[in-house]
Amino acid sequence: MTNIENQIFSSYQRNPDLYDEIYDKNGKIKGVYQKLFNLYGEHSINDYVSLNNKAKSSFFNQGITFQVYGDKNVQEKIFPFDLFPRIIDPVDWDIIERGSIQRSKALNLFLWDIYHDKKILRDNIVPIDLITSSANYLDQMNGINPPGGIYNHISGTDVIKHKDGKYYVLEDNIRCPSGVSYVICNRTALKKALFGVFNHYQTHTVTNYAENLLELLESVKPKGVDIPNVVVITPGMYNSAFYEHSYLAKTMGVELVEGRDLFVENDFVYMKTIKGPEKVDVIYRRIDDQFIDPLEFNPDSVLGVPGLFAAYKKGNVTLANAPGTGVADDKAVYTYMPKIIKYYLNEEPILNNVHTYHCSRPDELKYVLEHIHELVIKPVDEAGGYGISIGNRLTKSEIEKVKAEVKASPRKYVAQPIMSLSVHPTYIDDSESFEQRHVDLRTFTVLGKDKEFVLKGGLTRVALKKGNLIVNSSQGGGSKDTWVLKK
Amino acid sequence: MPREFEITYSATNVYDEWVYDAHWQFLIIPVENETQHEVEIEFSNSQYAITENSINGYGFKTLRVHPKKKFKEISFEAKFKFLKEEIDPYNFKINLDKSSAYDTLQNLGFKITHERFLKATTYTTIKNTEEQLFRFNNSLSIFDNLVSLNNFTFNYIKFTTGATEVNTLLKDIISKQKGVCQDFAHLFCALSRSNGIPTRYVSGYLDQNNNYQGDSQMHAWVESYIPEIGWKGFDPTNNILANTNHIKVCHGKDYNDCAPLKGIIHSHGKNKTIHSVTVESQQ
Repeated sequence: MTNIENQIFSSYQRNPDLYDEIYDKNGKIKGVYQKLFNLYGEHSINDYVSLNNKAKSSFFNQGITFQVYGDKNVQEKIFPFDLFPRIIDPVDWDIIERGSIQRSKALNLFLWDIYHDKKILRDNIVPIDLITSSANYLDQMNGINPPGGIYNHISGTDVIKHKDGKYYVLEDNIRCPSGVSYVICNRTALKKALFGVFNHYQTHTVTNYAENLLELLESVKPKGVDIPNVVVITPGMYNSAFYEHSYLAKTMGVELVEGRDLFVENDFVYMKTIKGPEKVDVIYRRIDDQFIDPLEFNPDSVLGVPGLFAAYKKGNVTLANAPGTGVADDKAVYTYMPKIIKYYLNEEPILNNVHTYHCSRPDELKYVLEHIHELVIKPVDEAGGYGISIGNRLTKSEIEKVKAEVKASPRKYVAQPIMSLSVHPTYIDDSESFEQRHVDLRTFTVLGKDKEFVLKGGLTRVALKKGNLIVNSSQGGGSKDTWVLKK
Repeated sequence: MPREFEITYSATNVYDEWVYDAHWQFLIIPVENETQHEVEIEFSNSQYAITENSINGYGFKTLRVHPKKKFKEISFEAKFKFLKEEIDPYNFKINLDKSSAYDTLQNLGFKITHERFLKATTYTTIKNTEEQLFRFNNSLSIFDNLVSLNNFTFNYIKFTTGATEVNTLLKDIISKQKGVCQDFAHLFCALSRSNGIPTRYVSGYLDQNNNYQGDSQMHAWVESYIPEIGWKGFDPTNNILANTNHIKVCHGKDYNDCAPLKGIIHSHGKNKTIHSVTVESQQ
């Protein structure tokens, strides 16, 4: 073999300040990537141009699309898929998997506690104001025992590899974390494009997500139910994640419903079918708390089901995730995660937390305002990368604007040092070559009654704009197939 | 001797266009507790739709109606017979050591137990400057301060129907100084909470034979938690303590938690609603 690699990676520029996942410090390809590197080298760059185009049209034809909110010209976009997969070796994966389970379990115990005895508040480990001032804290959840004792059935943990080579959690998403359907579609797309490469690696499957999710949802059925009837409820086809809702329902083999397909009678939930009403026991809901029941929460909601919360409170139906879980994925609560893990599990955190400054604390606010150019400012209750400001990318006038906003509502913001996310070779359309791009990883953890499951893969998101650190699809990110290697 | 009350609640809704889908939830049943005992409940509607008994998010009993046919007019009538024990609102012991009760208010455990009724809500948010309207005098007992606050609220707002609406915010009530029982209750809640006293909004009925203010519809008053004594009812609309004439339905942080009638109606055009409440008692 001649120097075939160079055809593909000849113009690959390595920035020495960044942590490249496939090259080591000395510019050598790391062990697990060696075979892949050689295999990819057998193709010419023109092959990638055409494979890339095929993959794109395949996603579009399957309707694997999403919409961006706040954009005047709303249109369906595909989540750009990159042909070069990311490989996670078994040693690293073990840390990520154990760390994700640890966090999900700790958050579940935390939620039980703050909606019952509030011991962690009484022991003054977490300040009470942080909880009661959260817009996602639901008074109505006090004293309710969710079936199986589970609040955050599905958790999405966003993990990055910093330039120190260690894994850090950027945030825990436990309201309605999305993205799992892309994990499975990415695997399918890569298999279609470059089937041969899979023969050289022992990679864990990702297509078992749906069966595990269904099994764990069934394990948290309401009392007295033998074989539970599970449904997925969606806000409808105009929701940005509708593809995922329909995908999950289809692969679990359960009904996909909207609010108008369900009704409540004598505190039990039923689905309208052509054969008459059918009782529903477990609802995987992809609707936010405020919209699930117009009689209990937002009365203007047409997405929910009148009377659903009373049925839930009486223990006649399971909602996954439970209402009120959002209080624990508040980014201000994130700061307390190491303490929360220690308090409930008496363990040290397996995954690191990024140091976080609370703008609500006067001394930390002062620091944030003085060092804004080296910090990331995040709103505590937004998802999807909305409202994030990266200090060193702001113009002078933007800095003043952000400062003013933070000063006006300090409880709404936290700040973190700018983390240097690891980079991974990514095919770039414009230059028709592979370039370094920042990546993160969203893992999917499912908690059931005395059981848990972590999808051995997860969603690697890529910030496609050069130098960009925000990987969310709504902010122009793409994604990669993620291989977890068997031991 | 307990007193027997007969309460009649009626509501009529008229719509310009056909209504094909509607849900109503009534939070109007007197709560059962140590002083209130249910004798009989009747509930009917003009569409002969089935009534379901349920609960709201805080466990108070509700009635729900979801007609299966289209309609342009629907009326509801509820009759409650209840026994109410005679209450002497002054029948409690006052600890002579005032400072221990004030110390309890500062206790973290106390703040956590009562956090729901200590925080400001949409209806009870006031500015720092407005908190100065009523500050506690710590040389008096908490109870005496609350009696003064009751008196202050009664004098601050002039009872005026039509000056405010169901969703008027406290800042407008403070500037207008006019309002109805709901507004009196919200102002009391805001000011007592800002003095560290857990206070809850109470919705219920008021016996109409006493010429009290605010008695033609459902009434609103408050309950404050006094350390070493417990929950005490205050009716700032009438500048009295809650007594045998106050029949409680439910409590919450503010009106939002206690709205007597919630409707989810899918209809075009205009609609009109008429409510009426009568309360009669026999010794």
